Amino acid sequence: MSKPKYSTWMMIVSLALVIMTACGPAATPTAAPQPTSAPPATSAPEATTAPTEVSPTVAPTEAPSGAANTLVFDSNIDDLITLDPAVAYEFSGVLVVHNVYENLVQFVGADLSNLQPSLAESWEVNEAGDNWEVTFHLRDDVKFASGNPLTADDVVYSFQRVISLNKSPAFLFTDIAQIKTDSIKAADPKTVVVTMPKTASPQAFLSILTFTVGGIVDSKEVQAHVSGDDFGSGWLLDHSAGSGPYAVDHWQRDVEVLLKANPNYGGAQPPLSAVLVKHVPESANQQTELETGDADIAQNLSPEQIAAVKGKEGVATTTGNSLLLFYVGMNVAVKPLDNVKVREALRTAVDYDGIINDLLSGNAKKVQNVIPAGLLGFNPDTPFQQEIEKAKALLKEAGQENGFTVEMLVPTGAGPGGVAWADLAAKLQSDWAQIGVTVDIKQVAQAELLGSYRAQKGQLVMILWGPDFPDPDANVGPFTDINAHSIAFRNSWDDPIAEQARAAALITDPTERAAAYEAITDYVLHNGPYVILYQPTQLFGLRSNVQGFAWNPMGYADFWTISK
Amino acid sequence: MNFLTLLLRRLVGIVAVMAGVSVITFAISHLVPADPVAAALGDHATDAQIAAFRAEYGLDKPVVDQYFIYVNGLLRGDLGKSIRTRRPVAADLRDFFPATLELSLAALLVSVLVGIPAGAWSAIARNRLPDHFVRVFSLTGGSLPIFWLGLILIGFFYGRLGWLPGGGRIDRFIEPPLSITGLYVLDSLLTSNIPALQSSLQHLILPAFTLGYFSTAVIARMMRSSMLEVMRQDYMLTARAKGLRLNAAVIKHGLRNALIPTLTIIGVTFGSLLSGAVLTETIFSWPGLGRYATASAISLDFPAVMGVTLLAAVIYPVANLLVDLGYHWLDPRIQHG
Repeated sequence: MSKPKYSTWMMIVSLALVIMTACGPAATPTAAPQPTSAPPATSAPEATTAPTEVSPTVAPTEAPSGAANTLVFDSNIDDLITLDPAVAYEFSGVLVVHNVYENLVQFVGADLSNLQPSLAESWEVNEAGDNWEVTFHLRDDVKFASGNPLTADDVVYSFQRVISLNKSPAFLFTDIAQIKTDSIKAADPKTVVVTMPKTASPQAFLSILTFTVGGIVDSKEVQAHVSGDDFGSGWLLDHSAGSGPYAVDHWQRDVEVLLKANPNYGGAQPPLSAVLVKHVPESANQQTELETGDADIAQNLSPEQIAAVKGKEGVATTTGNSLLLFYVGMNVAVKPLDNVKVREALRTAVDYDGIINDLLSGNAKKVQNVIPAGLLGFNPDTPFQQEIEKAKALLKEAGQENGFTVEMLVPTGAGPGGVAWADLAAKLQSDWAQIGVTVDIKQVAQAELLGSYRAQKGQLVMILWGPDFPDPDANVGPFTDINAHSIAFRNSWDDPIAEQARAAALITDPTERAAAYEAITDYVLHNGPYVILYQPTQLFGLRSNVQGFAWNPMGYADFWTISK
Repeated sequence: MNFLTLLLRRLVGIVAVMAGVSVITFAISHLVPADPVAAALGDHATDAQIAAFRAEYGLDKPVVDQYFIYVNGLLRGDLGKSIRTRRPVAADLRDFFPATLELSLAALLVSVLVGIPAGAWSAIARNRLPDHFVRVFSLTGGSLPIFWLGLILIGFFYGRLGWLPGGGRIDRFIEPPLSITGLYVLDSLLTSNIPALQSSLQHLILPAFTLGYFSTAVIARMMRSSMLEVMRQDYMLTARAKGLRLNAAVIKHGLRNALIPTLTIIGVTFGSLLSGAVLTETIFSWPGLGRYATASAISLDFPAVMGVTLLAAVIYPVANLLVDLGYHWLDPRIQHG
């Protein structure tokens, strides 16, 4: 009977261990209370925020850095697949990459209309026959995190890499800017010339370069890690080779990404020496971590949770803009949606204010044109609000006074802004029922919905769109041009307005360009196959000592401006 | 039948099960009317990108060819590449499985340590206060939704009292132990890393209890009824007649016999712990296989779904094998047929 005794002992010992540790003090130095008054942004945070009350039983030995110097950003980063700027095209990837790499040009903070210098101290656009020549003059003091100096060769390598890898964001270079690998040349170590055909928009290209796909990688460092023909993307998946304020320390899948300040960064060192983007999929836990002070910023709180944390000690809330548009596409290949009056009637019967105020608790902007607020050419006019009699009259003119039945595809789950797609669909269903239009809601997983939508198999399709780069062409092109094989195509809408849209993309004078877009979007508003519902607002919970946080509508924040 | 024959038979069984599972899962995942590529590349991908992606993953080939390519890879130990994470499925499983295994083992430990004594106690004190207490405890455990229990426990022990950490496997300012088995508690013991051991144990308590409560309840109920059955046996009467007190008789003669049916339940429970960890993992930000499987299924990532399913197809028979060996240890008369 010796065996059972041995295992009994093992059990007792294990049990004792469990109980002992359960009763011991929590070893989390992060449970330290946060100071109620914010330290000045410029002061060294270490001294002012050192935890005084709780002396941690465990010294953070190989700790990334102290809690006071680390920004903890709670988010659901399920979508993270890579940290390579040439491949990343998901929300979480973009958020991280933006803080690790620098671009030739940039938009600062939440502003998306004033292009600013970054790695390029100046640039010019010249005509050269059938081409545009965009010339960038690089700063000469820039070093990568590795210590290597940044030269024109790095820029050429970075852009060629995007095109050769041909991953998700590559079409921004190849299709929108219409450049090839031999379009990018280093004229001298500090000058880069990009040649693009006159059919592409230099303004759109410059906007694209502010986005993560335009991040400049350290070509020497990356080439040292190339495996086969992968251009180092296997290594850049979870390493970084940039010149930005932070560098990737590690990415533990489904757990966290830790960024540490880049000692070779050319600008001022960021106030917080580390950023922990922590994967917290359950928003209730983001809320608790925010309230206890374990998280500094929580990204995925619902409107109800934001209301619940408001006014709690040490917690503040803020909003950020997005460039997303929630809309319903109307496939004009389906009768009677081919009739422009029917489409106008559907637009006229929607209770937009009710959706925004009741369903979204006001966390959205009423936008009815295909360019969202925040981009050049945005038209704030909102001519539509529910007018049942007018909508009925329009249906009668279209010969549909008895109404009709139509199917609407709706994604499952909740869209950004926290409202369940099904609730939104039910609201539209009841609005349209008032003018005799019966909507059969068919709710399917978004992947399945996109399959049908792409194949022009939808009738009504409820979905959202966000521009790929901060330029009106990123919306107007897909929404008007059937040849772009995007939104207009999915709704079978072939309209000559596409030509005007293509022309507007090439206008270089901003005022002239904005005027052109105003005319185009107004035409699409009344003739196009879309009911634009709203532009959602992003909600954030943050500790009240967090300063300098500004959400960029393109889906990232500059971590290096944040202090606490 | 000796141990070796048993093992061989089980191995053949595992291979047969895997073959069947692979055909069925593959067929189902390819009959789904949705497109995994649309899910992976999203709304904005161009037709050319979609075509390139299809070619990269072999999705442009007929389904039967795809199956044989898959099986061919499988025989060489290649589980394919995940459509969602763009990584080899084997690497994903290696990352996520240890977390789930650690959580499930901890939950199993909780349920065995609590469930068996509670069940036995309940039987001895039948229809008295302790029995009522255990029965209410079991009924509650059997009916509480896991996500609710988890959120309440976090809210109370972490949010309100601050006694235990809220989520994750280890404190964010403590380096995880050197990976040997991937089980943090075991690895920190093996490397004598005391801070990591303490932190990982603390992080295990709430999720292990949350996940283990249901199985604790099941095991306690099973133990109670089998103990009641054993207490009616002649040898127990004999033991009592020879002057042994009830508790002594139960511990010396009853427990082992009553454990046999309970062991069956433990085996089954372990399988369900592994597969039932999804909600617990989500609530406790636990980077495990359950969440990986769910995310993969939602994005129609069939190589990943296949990988998880095949892993499960190995684990269940292995758990059963261990249970069989356990029978033999508890009662050497039991023959494996």
